[in-house]
Amino acid sequence: MPTYDELRAAADAVWKAVEDPPRPLFSISINTSSLASRAAETLAALRKLGERLGFDVMQTGDAGFAFAEPVVQVTKPGGSAVLYGPVTPDRAAAFAAAAMKGVAKEFALGVVSGPATDGVPALADTPWMKVQTRWLMHNCGVIDPDNIDHYIARGGYRQFLDAAAMDRDALISVIKGSTLKGRAGGFFSTGMKWQFLKDATAEPKYLVCNADEGDPGAWVNRVVMEGDPHMLIEGMLIGAHASGASHGWIYVRDEYPLAIERLNRALAQCRERGILGDDALGTGVRFDAEVVRGAGAYVCGDETGLISSVNDERGMPRLKPPFPAASGVLGKPTNVNNVETYACATTFLRLTPEIFSTVGTDMHWGTKMFSVSGAVGKTGCLEVPFGTKVADVLAAAGGVPGGRQLKALQEGGPLSGLLPAAIALDLPLEPEPFRPLGAGMGGGGLIFVDDTACTVDLNVMFSWFVEAESCGRCTTCRGANQRMFEIFSRTARGEGQSDDVAQLKSLAASMQYSNCLHGALSPTIMNHTIQHFREEYDAHTLEHRCPAKVCPGLIRYRITKQTPAVAEAAAICPAAAIAQQGGAWAIDDAACIRCHACKDIAPDDIVIEDRYRDVIPLRTLVPAAVSRSG
Amino acid sequence: MLDNEATLEIQHLIRDFKPADGDLLGALHAVQHRYGYIPKIAMPVVARQLRLSEAQVYGAVTYYSEFRLIPPPATLIGWCSGLSCRLKGGDRIRQVLERELGIAMEENTDGDRLGLHLAQCNGTCEHAAQVWVNGEVVGPLSAADTVKLVRSLKEKA
Repeated sequence: MPTYDELRAAADAVWKAVEDPPRPLFSISINTSSLASRAAETLAALRKLGERLGFDVMQTGDAGFAFAEPVVQVTKPGGSAVLYGPVTPDRAAAFAAAAMKGVAKEFALGVVSGPATDGVPALADTPWMKVQTRWLMHNCGVIDPDNIDHYIARGGYRQFLDAAAMDRDALISVIKGSTLKGRAGGFFSTGMKWQFLKDATAEPKYLVCNADEGDPGAWVNRVVMEGDPHMLIEGMLIGAHASGASHGWIYVRDEYPLAIERLNRALAQCRERGILGDDALGTGVRFDAEVVRGAGAYVCGDETGLISSVNDERGMPRLKPPFPAASGVLGKPTNVNNVETYACATTFLRLTPEIFSTVGTDMHWGTKMFSVSGAVGKTGCLEVPFGTKVADVLAAAGGVPGGRQLKALQEGGPLSGLLPAAIALDLPLEPEPFRPLGAGMGGGGLIFVDDTACTVDLNVMFSWFVEAESCGRCTTCRGANQRMFEIFSRTARGEGQSDDVAQLKSLAASMQYSNCLHGALSPTIMNHTIQHFREEYDAHTLEHRCPAKVCPGLIRYRITKQTPAVAEAAAICPAAAIAQQGGAWAIDDAACIRCHACKDIAPDDIVIEDRYRDVIPLRTLVPAAVSRSG
Repeated sequence: MLDNEATLEIQHLIRDFKPADGDLLGALHAVQHRYGYIPKIAMPVVARQLRLSEAQVYGAVTYYSEFRLIPPPATLIGWCSGLSCRLKGGDRIRQVLERELGIAMEENTDGDRLGLHLAQCNGTCEHAAQVWVNGEVVGPLSAADTVKLVRSLKEKA
C-alpha cells in the first residue's frame, strides 16, 4: 500500500490541473438540488460545447446554491475563477460562448478568485456569502466528490494521520476541549461520547453515522455527503482511533440516493488505497465502514431507533439505559454521531483550536450549517458562525419575498418549534437561547413562514407527521398524537370545540411519559401555537373563521366577476364544481374541494371569503369563563 | 412466474446477505429493486436467509414507508409532504392529485397505470411545491399546474 506522502504527491499533480488548468475549466455542481434543476442536461451540453470551444468540464458537489442551480464555476488558466448560475440547459451555449470570451455577466454570481471585473462583485462580498464562514464546506463545490485525489490534495486524511499519532486519551481530551457537540440537535459533548465508547469493556466496538436527516426542510448533511464524502469518512476514522471502534455503519435515508452512491464510491477508493482496512495508512488503526440504506422512517433518526434498524428489527427506539456505548449494534458498544459532527471533528483538527476558537460563541466554537427555505428569496444551504442572528440569515437569504410579513420560524424539524417572528428574528443561532422558549435549535433546518400561512393548518400537518412517524410502542405517543391530529383536523374543518385547548394541554402532559424524544417532543409545535398564536387558534374555534383564509372548512371560493378567465377556471376545476346557472358562472360550494386551481387561473375574478361570515360569532354565545376554561 | 421459480430467483438475489449483520434493509432493497415491490413470496425467503421469523420481515416491510406491497404503477407520482411545499400550496396539490386520479395515496389507478405515493422532503425546496414523476422533480407547481400535469399524464398512460 502507498504511504501518505506518495498518495499526496500523486494527488497534488491531479489537483494542480484543477487550480491552474491548462485551458478553461468549467466545473458544474452535480447534486440533488442541481439535478432537480436539470443540471445533468447542462452537463451534457457543456461537454459537447467544450469539445468545440476548447474547454474542459468537471463535476463538483453541492455548494449550497440551490437558488441558482445549475451553478457553474469557470476557472481560466492562471487561476482566475467566476461562479455562474443558473446555467439552464437551453442557455448553456450562450453562456459558454460568453464565459469563454470574458465574463458572462448576466449569469455571474460573483468572482471566486482574481480581480472583480465588469461590475461583477467578489463572491465573498455578496450578501449570501458575506454572512458565511465556510469551514465545513471548504471543499463543497470546489472538489469533485468522486475524486479522492482532490480531497487528499486539499489536505485530506492528514488530520487522521496526525490524530492516529496521538495517544487515544490525548486525542479524546483534545476533542473534549473543542466544544464539539452533537450536531443533530442534541448537542451532547462528542468527546464525552467517544470516551464512553473507549471505556466500554466489550469488543468489538462500533461507530454509527446517523445520516437519516428526516426533518422536512433540513438537508445540510446531504450537502456534506454529496459535496465532500471523504471528510465524513475521515471524521469516522478519527473517532475510530479515539474509541477503538473497528467497524462503522453510515445509515443514509432512502431519499438521498446520490449521497449513497458517492459514499459507496468514496469507501471503495479508501479501501483501494489502504485508508480503510486492517492498517489504515500504516497507522495500525483497523477500521472499515459500510452504508446502510434506510427505507423511510423518521424515528430512525433517534439513535436507538437507528440501531434497531441496523439490527434487522423495525426501527423502533427503545428505553435507555442501556446506552449505546454499553449495548448498541449487535449488542456491542456503539457510538452514534451524525454526519456534520464527524465532519466537524475533521475540520477542527484541520484548523487547530487556535483558529477554530476565533469564530462562534464561548459555548460553541466554529460554524453550523443551516438549510433555509419557505418564505425566503433564496433557498439554499449556508454555513454561519454559531451565534449568528436568525435575522441576519434571513437577510442573507434575501428576506421575505412578495412584500409579505414574517409570521414565524419553524426551526429544527417537527419536534423543535414554531416561534413567532418577534422572538425568532433576535435569536442567536446556538442551542441555549432556544431552550427557555421550550424549543430546540435542531439539526439545521430553518423554514421561514410568512403571513399567508395559518398556524392551525401547520398543526394539521405536524400532528399528522408526528402521528404517522410514531413507532407505536408507547401508548402516550401513539394515542395522544392520534388525538392531537383529530382535534386539529376537525378545527380546520370548522368543528373546533371550546374545550379543545384543555384537551391538547392534557395530551401534551401525558406525552412527556413517552420513552423516546419523539413522543416527548411531539406536542412542541402545538404548545407554541397555543402559547404564541392563541388569537388565530381561537378565531377558528370560537368564531369559525380562518384569518389567513387557508383552512378548507372555514373558507369558500366565490366568483365576483364574469370574465373569460372564469370559463377557463371552470374547465380546470378537478371537482367540476364550477357551472353556469342562468348564464352566470357559480361555484357549487358543496362540490368544491378548495384546491385553489380556479383562482390560479382567474386570480382577479374569484375571491376566498369566510364561509361562516354571516353566522353570529360563537364567542358571544359562550360565557368567556367557559370558553377559556382550558 | 411459478412460485418455486420466483423463490429460487429471490434466494439467488439475496444470497450474499447474512444473519445478524445489519442486512435486512439491504436484502429488502435488493428485492424491491428487482421487482419494484416486495412480493409476498419474498418474505419467507428473506426470513430464512437472515434467520428471522416471517413476522419480523413482514413487520419491517410494513414499518418502512418506502417498501411497497403492491406493484408499482407505470407512472408513479410522489407527493412531497414537507412544510416548505405546504407553505406554497402543497396540500392543495394533494387535493388535486387525489381528485383528478380518483385514488388515495399509496393506491394505483386501474391497470396500474398511475399511482400516488406520499413522499418525504429531500431538500429540493427551491422547487416547492413539488411532486416527483417517476423520481424526477417537477415544480414549482400551482394547483392549476398540477391539474394540467395530471391530465397530460392520464392521456399518456
